[in-house]
Parts: sequence; C-alpha cells; structure tokens
Amino acid sequence: MKKVRLLSLLSVTALVTTVLVTAPTVANAAPACDGKSPIQSCVGVTSDGAPYAMQVPANFNGTVALYSHGYRYNVDIPAAIPLIGGYKITNTPEPVPGGNAAVAQYFFSQGIAILGSGFARQGWNPDSAIKTNVELIDTFKKQFPKTTKVVAWGSSLGGVITQGLAEKYPQLVSAVAPMCMADNITPQLTMAGDFLWGVKVLFDPTIKGGSYSAGAAGVAESYADLGKVFTVMGKLQAALATGAWPDTASPTGKSLAAAGVPSRSALLLLGLMAGLPTQSAHFDSVSGPEGALKLTFPLALSPALAILENGTNAAALAVLATQDVEAQAGGAIFDNTKTDYSARIEGERVIYNAALSGNTVIDALLGALSAANPGAPRAVANPAAVAKMNALHTNTGKINVPTVLMVGLADPITPAGASQRLVDLYAEQYAAEKAAASKAYQSSRSYAAPTNKLLMLWNTPPASYTKFNEAGSPITSTPAAQGTNHCNFTSAQLVLVAKSMVQASNTGKLPSGGSFYTAIRKAGNLSIDKGIRAPWLKAYGNN
Amino acid sequence: MKAMNRRKLITASAVLAVVGLAATALPAQAAEVGVTSTQIKLGMTLPMTGTASLGYNKIPGAAKAYFDYLNANGGINGRKITLVVKDDRYVPTEAVAKTNELILKDKVMALMAPLGTANVKAVATSVNPARRGVPVLFINTGFSGFADVKKYPTTYTVLPSYIMEAKIMGEYIKENFAGKKIGLLYQDDDFGVDALEGFKTAGVNFAVKVPYASGSQNAAAAAGWITKFKAAEADVVILFGVSSATSAMLGVAAQLKYAPQWMLGSVGGDATTIKLTGVPAGVLYNAIGFSPVPATTDMKDEYVKFFSDIYAKAVPGSAFDLNVLLGMNTAFMTAQAIKAAGQNPTRKSLMAAIDSKGATFASSALVPVGYSKTSHVGLTGYWVGKYAPTGDLAPIGGTYVTYTTDSGSGPVVKSTYKRPAMPAKGLPN
Repeated sequence: MKKVRLLSLLSVTALVTTVLVTAPTVANAAPACDGKSPIQSCVGVTSDGAPYAMQVPANFNGTVALYSHGYRYNVDIPAAIPLIGGYKITNTPEPVPGGNAAVAQYFFSQGIAILGSGFARQGWNPDSAIKTNVELIDTFKKQFPKTTKVVAWGSSLGGVITQGLAEKYPQLVSAVAPMCMADNITPQLTMAGDFLWGVKVLFDPTIKGGSYSAGAAGVAESYADLGKVFTVMGKLQAALATGAWPDTASPTGKSLAAAGVPSRSALLLLGLMAGLPTQSAHFDSVSGPEGALKLTFPLALSPALAILENGTNAAALAVLATQDVEAQAGGAIFDNTKTDYSARIEGERVIYNAALSGNTVIDALLGALSAANPGAPRAVANPAAVAKMNALHTNTGKINVPTVLMVGLADPITPAGASQRLVDLYAEQYAAEKAAASKAYQSSRSYAAPTNKLLMLWNTPPASYTKFNEAGSPITSTPAAQGTNHCNFTSAQLVLVAKSMVQASNTGKLPSGGSFYTAIRKAGNLSIDKGIRAPWLKAYGNN
Repeated sequence: MKAMNRRKLITASAVLAVVGLAATALPAQAAEVGVTSTQIKLGMTLPMTGTASLGYNKIPGAAKAYFDYLNANGGINGRKITLVVKDDRYVPTEAVAKTNELILKDKVMALMAPLGTANVKAVATSVNPARRGVPVLFINTGFSGFADVKKYPTTYTVLPSYIMEAKIMGEYIKENFAGKKIGLLYQDDDFGVDALEGFKTAGVNFAVKVPYASGSQNAAAAAGWITKFKAAEADVVILFGVSSATSAMLGVAAQLKYAPQWMLGSVGGDATTIKLTGVPAGVLYNAIGFSPVPATTDMKDEYVKFFSDIYAKAVPGSAFDLNVLLGMNTAFMTAQAIKAAGQNPTRKSLMAAIDSKGATFASSALVPVGYSKTSHVGLTGYWVGKYAPTGDLAPIGGTYVTYTTDSGSGPVVKSTYKRPAMPAKGLPN
C-alpha cells in the first residue's frame, strides 16, 4: 500500500467561523444598531466582555434564535505547528453556525431574529457562557420588546452550553437544539486523555501529555506536545502497512515491536480503549481496493487508518483542552491509575480481532499498558484540581423543553455517545413522567399523557465510502463523508434542525408524521431510527 | 400535554380488542415487519466472496433450495418464504452495514444464520437486534457466549459450542492417543478461546499450541505452522480453524510430506471444501473428524436423502456437502419455528415458539438441542468419524456413536438421543 497523505485532520478549527457583524462597543452598554432594513444588525458587549451580534428582520415575529458556538482554543497556535498553526484567539460573535447563509436566510424568511456572542473566554467555558447567554437574552428582549420566544441551539461545546441553559433556565427558552454535543468535561477529557497517554507511553515518552506548568511555560509545553503528537502520527501513517514502530518509541514500545506487534494494531487498540470511532472522514472500515487487499484492507488496515484520522483530532484536543482546563483547575486533571483498559475493549477486541492481530497481540498490548508495567507509568491527577474541575458546570441530562439533538455517528471529537446518554436518560425521565401521570389519574380521574420532548437525529455515514485510485491507494482528498468528522453537517441538515426547533417552539410539540419524515429524507443521511444505539463515552464504564 | 378521559380510553381499547378478535379469524393478516399476507421475508449475511467464503458461500443456496421446495408446497399458512442474502466478506464492519440494510431497508422479519463470531458480535453491538426485537435465528458460529440469553435475548445458536467440540475431542484423545504429543492450531480470537477452554476442561496437555490471527491464514503462514509442529515433534495435530486455514495447512503439508495424525474441527472439516482448494483426498485419509449431522454421503439417512434430492434439483452440479446440509437443516428448522409461531407470526411469537417447542423440532442432527425459555443453546454434541480414502467423513465402525456435553464442566457422555422422524414430505407440521 502506498503512503496515505497526512490529512487536514483538525476539524476543530472549522468551528472558528465567518464574521457576520463586527465592531463591538462598550461592555454592558445598549446594543449599537444600524437601523437598516430588511435586516437590522446590532452589536454590543455583555458585562463580562463577550462581544455579541443580533440580526433582526423587518418582519420580526417575536422569536429569536440564540446560537452558541463550539470550542475555540484559548491560546494562539504558532504558525510552525502543523495542521492547526496560525490560529489566533478570537471571540468573534457567531449568531448562526459557521455564518451559514442558508440557515440565516431560513430564519429571516420566517421573521425570526438571530443572536449569538463570541463569549468572553475561549476554551472550556460553559459556566461563563451560560451566564453570557442569560444576559444576552435579557438584552435582546429589552432592545426588541416584541420578543415572545427564544429558541437556543449550539454546536459541540455550544451544545453543552445550550443544554445547560435549558437545564438551568428552562423558563427562558421554548425549544433547544444541542448539535454534535460534547459530553461533560470529565468523560470528554478522559477520552482524549486516554488516547494521548497511550501515544505517549508507547510511541514517544517525551510527550508530556498533561501536568503542564502554569502560565506561559505550560503553553509552550503544550506547543511542544502538539508537534510531537503530529510527528508520531505521521510516522505511524508512513509505517501503517509494514507495522514498523516510530524511532521515538518507548522501551515498552520497542519491546512490543521486537515481539512482532504491528504498530498499527497498537494504534488501533489505543483508539478503541479511548472510544474513538473506527470510521473516519475517508476510512469506512468496510471497503478495500480491487486485488490482493480487497479483504485485507478493511479487515486489517482500514480501522487503524480511521483511528489515525480520528486520533489526531483527539490528541490535539487532548493537548490543548487539557492545558486549558489544568490552567483553570490549578493542576493535573487526567488520572488513569485505576483504569482497566482490558475491560474497556472487551467487546471491540472480538470485532476488530484481525486488525488487532489476534488475542496474543492484544494481550501483549494490554499487558504493556497495564498499571503493573512500570514502563508505562499511569497519569496521576492532582485531587484538588480534579475537585475544581468537577465543580465546573455539569449537565444532568434533564430535558425541560422540546429538544432536538443531532450528531454524526462517527464524530471523533464529541462522540455520538454523548447524545445517546441524553436519549437514555430521557427514556427514564419519560417513564417517570408517565408513571406520575398514571398516579395522578388515581385522584383526578383524568389522564394527561406526557408529551415527548426529545427528537434524536442521527447523522449516519454511508454504508461504504472509502475510494481508491487505480494503484489501489486510498484517496483522502475528498470531502469527509457524512456522519464522520466533527459537526460535519450540511446546510439542509442544519435548516431541518432549525425548522424542527422553531416548530416545537410554536406548537409545544416536536415534529413527527409523514411530512416530517419526508423532510428528514430530503435533508439526507439522517435517521430517527430508535434502534440506533451509540456507546456512551468510555469513562462511564457501562458499555 | 394531551388529556384523555380514561373511560373513553378503555372503551376505545375494548373496540380495538373486538376488531382484533375478528381479525384473528381471517386468513393471513400482515401485522409484523417482514410479514405480509403472502410473504415472510428473512435476511442473511455471510461471506459470499473473498478468501473466507470458501464453502460457507453454499449455505444461502442450500437454504433457498429448501425454502423454494417449501414455497412450491404451499409455503407456511399460505405465505412464501423469501430469503434476502447479503455478502459481508467475513468483515465485521461490513456485516454491520449489511445487517442494517436488511433490517432498515429490506425490512426482514428475522435474521437467519449469520456467520462468524466477530461478525455476530459486531452486529449485536452496533446493530443491536435485541434492542430492536429482531430474532437472530440459528447463527453459524459455535462461540459459547452467544447462548447467554440475558446478553443476547433474541439470538439462537444452533451449532454445538466450540467448548463442547473441544471437550469431546479431548475425550477421544485421552482414549485413543494417550501418551502422544498433541499439537493445536487455533484461531487467535473467541473461536480459539472457546477451544482452549474446552481442551483445558477435558484435561488435554499440548506439546505445542499455534495461534493464527483471523485473516492471516495462507500457504506461507502454514509453512511456518508446520515448522513449529515439527519442532515440537507433534504426533497428533488438531486443526481447530476455519476452512481456509485447514486447507492451507493440509495443502502445504501434502507438499512437504508432513503427515501427523490429523484431527479436524467441524468448522473447517468439510471434505468437499478442502478438496476444492486442491488438497489431495489422500491427505485427509484416516484423519479424525467430528460432526453433529449425519455423513453427507449417507444416503440411507432419510434427512440426508431428502435434502440431497432437493438440492440436486435446485442447484444441479453442486456437491452436497456439510455446508449444504447444515444450510438446509437451518432452513428446515426456521420453517418449523415460523409455523409454530401461529397463523400470523410476529417476531415475539417466533421466538416464543422456539423457546417452547424448539427442542422438539425435527432436524437431521443426531444430537439434541437445548432450547427452552431460559436456554438458547443449540445442538449439544457430535459423533466421531474418520475420513475415507475418498476424503469423505464416515462414522468409525460404520455406526454413529454420539457424545453430548455442555459448555461448562459437565461430563462428556454417550448420547441416547432418538432423533424425531422427518415429518411428511419434509414440511413443517
């Protein structure tokens, strides 16, 4: 197999979006509006310093859509760092996802205003962002007293913020749509941390992987880690077919290499124990090129290539988000001293047995990664820092208002399991509401059935999508397949979510029925099949 | 919140119940996914192409041959059985994709005879038939874990477990090869885990154990395996792998004139399949083999004769072998389950029928099944045979002596099981 070109893997950067309105003014002052028609634009700054933007159509019907953007790095990234270098911290307001014109047009066509801030602080920020949004809603209502309804939506970390807003302030919103929603901070950083730890202990022990120094020194350490992680990934990619190990491998890694363990199997195991999807932007783990690799490619190589694509995302997030949260918490926050990685992959080791090179290799890898191996020292967290991290905002999963969820089944940054968790928790909540209604009937003799408040839209990858050139090498220059990559939605899908949210806001009911199913089909690659079940993030330990 | 007066609710329910009662008196109503008034649709995924498809790709044709015969004889309560087959190439992720298609697009009532431990596990995890209430009938894997009713409530095994097979092999070794050096080739996954556990329970000590990762079996690998068995001076070599592994091993052994006492597991022990790869029949001669169903050459057996005749008409020129017999037997058992599920079968009634009546279903197998409300264990034993000069497996001494056991620590015992006679015309009663 020819080398696969290292991809533009970091879709996280795609969250930094087009500027619709700029030039914020003085903090906490009334918004500055341009008075234009048919769309009036207003800008301002909240009391905590978050710039915001409002766009209000002349036929404003009283509903405003509040959007919360996703994770933006809280440090500038030097241009020399591959793939994500050149990023500058920004708090540019983002009133619709990525400045999507089709979405804005839909809202305006319905007389709905759009609203969003760039938040005062980047990085992991739900605590401050929820407060910002509460203030923003109040500011908008004061500026536009005709406002009757607020619908809120957000992507990735913005999904956490949106869900958090609905949990804490249900009276402020009539419907919400957390999309490609992140999980709470501990499971989310555990996923990223597990993968990064594995890369460190097997492939490059000089990666710091956490416990970064305070201040600028810690930022510099994270830059160094990013460079090392990307370098290791490049070496693993180059040696994917041969299974050779990077020259930076740890003594533990080198002994595995000497025992004949292919590096691709080690990489795949790290991805599986972290909970990364085995389908990625270009690798479906199903297709193979015509010829000798027709069966071997999907069976033995494609899952590892998918982890390579997805894992680069996870490792970059692990470095930058860990550095950010450690800075907030005051110390190391990733701890795997009690993690049983063997239990983590109990199911997957059967399914991916061929790509993992069989039980003997799997057991050798798990032995190397076990807490008993001093050559793979576990990460130890600072208890005070963990306590501080856990005190940051956490969503309970309670569904208070009509809620639309949408996520890609192979999202590598915010796995579909984060949304699945809400689906499962809501099933319990709904059953309890139903039981309460039945109990109430005993005294009232009138049965009021609870209304369903949750709609789950799964963005599903096609059955097969890996393409090969005439030489049999995989093609990685095509756009990411639907259902893969982070928050990889089409305009049609976003508009469908917007419409569903607005309909729920207007009627109190989530859409259903034939015309809605037709709309889902037309939006493409979406499913509401209740049989779909994404595994929860590994940190929950219940898969 | 929608309010409805409970009394009205009860009245409405009562009306619906009356309508439902009336409906049951009518012939063949469609009330379940994959079931219409004229058809019942079933789905199957297994390797139809690729190196792992060897032999197993005859199973769908065999099942269809029986269903065609059944349909030509009126079907089941007027409904014809349609079998939708998808090629998963023995790739677990592809099995997931194809099974999703079967359930969501083809809308099958039940899945039937999916093949491969990793594939069935992948489907159970990612497609989740249990959560969807979709029956997974008579799977083509002997991994013992799939009989766990709590974990796989809608899955029914049919093959004896690999643990059972290894235990029965172990007993045979103790009785016939005491003091010999034993070697084992096994697949390095749950298939092999079961085998190792069974041999351990049987108290077999190996001079050498050679694992191979699924997908790695080929002639070059086989040469390496032989080197290890030779180095250990193994007198008896057990091949506990898939057909492609057995064929690779025996083909290279023939070239190298390596001839220990072979013992072949049933999964990779079909003589027709092995010979198709160019392995000379003579290499198989006197090898020990195991099977839960009669020898495929035993035309005195009413089931073998019946299935063989149907298959010869349906697929002329195709050899009647173990995969064909098992495929047709599975279809036959499936038909009985559907018939037992009632006039208007549902997924639930289908599974309830197997739970309550499955242990009495007619089958070509010479050993009993263990179906009940609390057990989805399929066949529970084997007879032991030797391969004839033609390469065909026949019972030692010309008589089937069957042994049964369980997947735990239970003993291996000679079976007194009396197989039910075949129903008239081979159609479900």
